[in-house]
Amino acid sequence: MLINQLMNMPTGSPQIKKVMLVGLPNTGKSQVYNNLTGDYSVVANSPLTTLETKRARCRLAEQSYEVIDSPGLHSLYNPSEEELTVRDLILSEEIDILVQCMDACRLKQSLTLTAHLLTLGIPMVISLNSMDEIARKGISIDPVALSRLLGVQVVASVAVQGQGTEELKEAISRVEAGGPEIIPCGEKIEGWLAELGSKLPVEAPYKRAISLLVLLDDPLILDYVNKMYGPAAVNDLQQQVKLIKGNLRFNIGQVINQQRSRWLDRVAEEVTHRTKPQSHGFAQEFARLSRHPVFGIPILLVFLYSMFYVVVNVANVISEWMSDVLWMPVEAKISGLIPLGFWHDFLIGDYGILSMGLANALMTVLPILSVFFLVFNIIEDIGYLPNLSVLTKRLLGKLGLSGSAIIPLVLGFGCKTVATLSTKTLKSKKEKYIAVYLIAFAIPCAAQMGLNMSILGRIGLSAFVIVFSVLFVVEILVGMALNKILTKQGQGLVFIQELTAIRLPNLKGVLKKTYYRIYWFLKESLPVFLGAALALFVIDKLGVLTATKRLLNPLIEGFLGLPSAMTDAIILCLVRHEAAAGVMINLVKKGQLDYIQCIVAVTVTTMVVPCFANIMAMAKEVGGKQTLVMIILIVMSSFAIGGALRWTLVALL
Amino acid sequence: MRNRKREKEEHLERLWGMKEGEQEAVEYLEDSMKGDFDAQLVEELAEDGMVALSEGNRKIVLTESGEKEARRIIRAHRIAERLLHDVLGGEFETGACEFEHTVTSELVDSICILLGHPRTCPHGMAIPEGECCRRSERTTRNMVIPLTEAELNQSARIAYINCRDDMLLHRLDDLQVRPGIKVKLHQRYPCFVIECEGASIALDEDIVATICVWSQGPPVDRPKLELSPKEKKPRPWWSKGLMAGRKRHGKI
Ligand SMILES: Nc1nc2c(ncn2[C@@H]2O[C@H](COP(=O)(O)OP(=O)(O)OP(=O)(O)O)[C@@H](O)[C@H]2O)c(=O)[nH]1
Ligand SMILES: [Mg+2]
Ligand SMILES: [Zn+2]
Ligand SMILES: [Zn+2]
Ligand SMILES: [Zn+2]
Repeated sequence: MLINQLMNMPTGSPQIKKVMLVGLPNTGKSQVYNNLTGDYSVVANSPLTTLETKRARCRLAEQSYEVIDSPGLHSLYNPSEEELTVRDLILSEEIDILVQCMDACRLKQSLTLTAHLLTLGIPMVISLNSMDEIARKGISIDPVALSRLLGVQVVASVAVQGQGTEELKEAISRVEAGGPEIIPCGEKIEGWLAELGSKLPVEAPYKRAISLLVLLDDPLILDYVNKMYGPAAVNDLQQQVKLIKGNLRFNIGQVINQQRSRWLDRVAEEVTHRTKPQSHGFAQEFARLSRHPVFGIPILLVFLYSMFYVVVNVANVISEWMSDVLWMPVEAKISGLIPLGFWHDFLIGDYGILSMGLANALMTVLPILSVFFLVFNIIEDIGYLPNLSVLTKRLLGKLGLSGSAIIPLVLGFGCKTVATLSTKTLKSKKEKYIAVYLIAFAIPCAAQMGLNMSILGRIGLSAFVIVFSVLFVVEILVGMALNKILTKQGQGLVFIQELTAIRLPNLKGVLKKTYYRIYWFLKESLPVFLGAALALFVIDKLGVLTATKRLLNPLIEGFLGLPSAMTDAIILCLVRHEAAAGVMINLVKKGQLDYIQCIVAVTVTTMVVPCFANIMAMAKEVGGKQTLVMIILIVMSSFAIGGALRWTLVALL
Repeated sequence: MRNRKREKEEHLERLWGMKEGEQEAVEYLEDSMKGDFDAQLVEELAEDGMVALSEGNRKIVLTESGEKEARRIIRAHRIAERLLHDVLGGEFETGACEFEHTVTSELVDSICILLGHPRTCPHGMAIPEGECCRRSERTTRNMVIPLTEAELNQSARIAYINCRDDMLLHRLDDLQVRPGIKVKLHQRYPCFVIECEGASIALDEDIVATICVWSQGPPVDRPKLELSPKEKKPRPWWSKGLMAGRKRHGKI
């Protein structure tokens, strides 16, 4: 067996085979990747979860594979920017096996992509996911028949439960070289594809796919041909296309689409059978209610309130308990052992490495984030967030954002960095600028949201309502202002957004994601918490901190009306919002922030400066100079807004 | 005796096609007409002022009046294709070719109105606009209506997509929004949402307006064969609010 494989292997071929996972957005690619490799790529019930490829090795039946998780792809033709990275990757890396992940509930949509992928001639396997859901809908899909019709192996699976993983592994190791059967486009068009293909160098791979894209006038494929085979090949192809299209009595693209549609209607019809009469499940009704212009609002409020409730009544209680039971005794013990002085301050003083660093991170912030992430991940896996785009569509239109910017903004409530990166789907420069700005400005990411709820929950629900209303209004006003100021550059995209289906979250999946989010938080933040405490300790001892506080005094105390201890929190915002939140929680506990101060403090720290990772993402999307401008504007406006808020509240209350 | 008028029309039709493909060589016309090419007839057309020959009779283009005539024929042909393809299904090439030589412009316009002013033929080629399209005329018995005007939550079969933007058509096609597929309009406000092949899609009103569906609306005499009993059940109370926006779009 082994010898056989070695014999068949062309000499000099790489030992490691590349397996690439492709598929429509939100079809379980990342879940399958996790199942195959044991690595973790974030799984969420929302499109645009995976924005960058992720790779890991795995070994099946004596053979090493490199498995690649990729962002969603609709078709090889006319890709958007993030889809283009996938297409380029397929065309440029020698992929040995494509694994297309399909959502069984969106069979026809997935088959359109299959038709595209088959033109590549790369050996393929299909992982037909969500078989549990389609069964619940009363439809059965026959994987054997599908496999026969497509000429590729089809593995029926329930990826979230790991069902089908072994079969998929087996299928991958069984894949033979040589492409699967191709879907003929009809004699005439096949002839043209062959003619076009002959203009490419003999050894060029994917001739048929490239010819088809050229024939369809794909906006970027000639760039690829130019890069790979030089301008002469481009010229030849263009000549040939002109010749072909000279006397056409039909639109090639549409005729090809029609043929493909006929083919996939036939395939879908043959493999699907209804087992129960069609009915609307609870999930579908819920999705519709959540988008309803009237009922959508209370549903949104219920989600917000339940997050708030859990943070206040569970997270805060746990955090309280942990600091009472786990930290206080330790602190007391250290106090008893070490007399007041340098070492005492170094360990457990105001800027002690244990008190402000370790205890802050582990006893205060960690429990709150854990609980919040758990709730947030459940909501994320329900698939509620993308459906929010329907409710906010008109509002965002007023901010100069076409519908396509909605998903990035909504994603901002999860992670601002991912959201900023996802603005690469926006083609209009103006829109991108506005979206990046708004994400960086007043949208709290999941961690901020959880911690803000925790802080404000200690003061009362009204504080929470005030802060979030202010942030909301500010965000709208800033968007409107930017819309007025910036001139339009580039074409906005038309808005076509698939909405995610509402799902019952899978408990194991939620727990795993929560675990990884906490793990990543600790890995990234713990050193930052400790480092920040150390840095503050040093500059405090040097007297620089006091000087800074004195310098900022008119701003912090005079204008914002906050105690000077809040300066620490605002400085900490520069490195990590979570660290600042920990400090603020302690201030609230010690009674150093009253109602108004608390509201002002949370509002300002939510806006004041985006986290470091977000800044890097901003620089990537809009460039360093623009990022700098944005940050300066954000810092200045957050203080201005904080001040205005303070004076308004003082006048009103 | 061969029908002279009809043959002239066939030549004009082909010349329109050549104009679309930016071809002007007589040789090309001869090639693409195959056996039907008639040199004498081309001369007659030139005498009638329908075509202009140049470069020693090697180049041929439509004159203004020739273009007008060709436009009428092409319009009839492609509207006929639409009718035969969408309503009757199946083979439509020969039928359309018969049709175009016998109909009046008025009849073509009435069919155009009935079909909701389609802009492309089933091959994806442009249908020249008629007077009716410019005035967006309507009747109460439109067979095809934009999806924006369809009943909420009723499934409707897509007749065609009235859009000439290839990229957009491809994007819609990828999502299975294409002729023959049944879709449902879920809501109009605050944003249009349609359901198609098991997926819900939110999209701009402009795009929904290009999706033309077979109307199942008012004409009571048309049996609603496609509705299963389940779908006929009264709308739940909460979705009534969604009807609010309907009136605005309902009439034009
Ligand atoms: N019920 C069920 N849900 C599934 C199955 N496979 C995946 N899911 C769910 O589908 C959603 C999307 O999964 P992901 O793995 O994030 O999908 P993806 O294709 O990587 O998504 P993007 O990276 O955003 O394109 C998650 O909520 C999964 O829990 C399955 O077999 N059954
Ligand atoms: Mg993914
Ligand atoms: Zn004809
Ligand atoms: Zn036609
Ligand atoms: Zn008309």
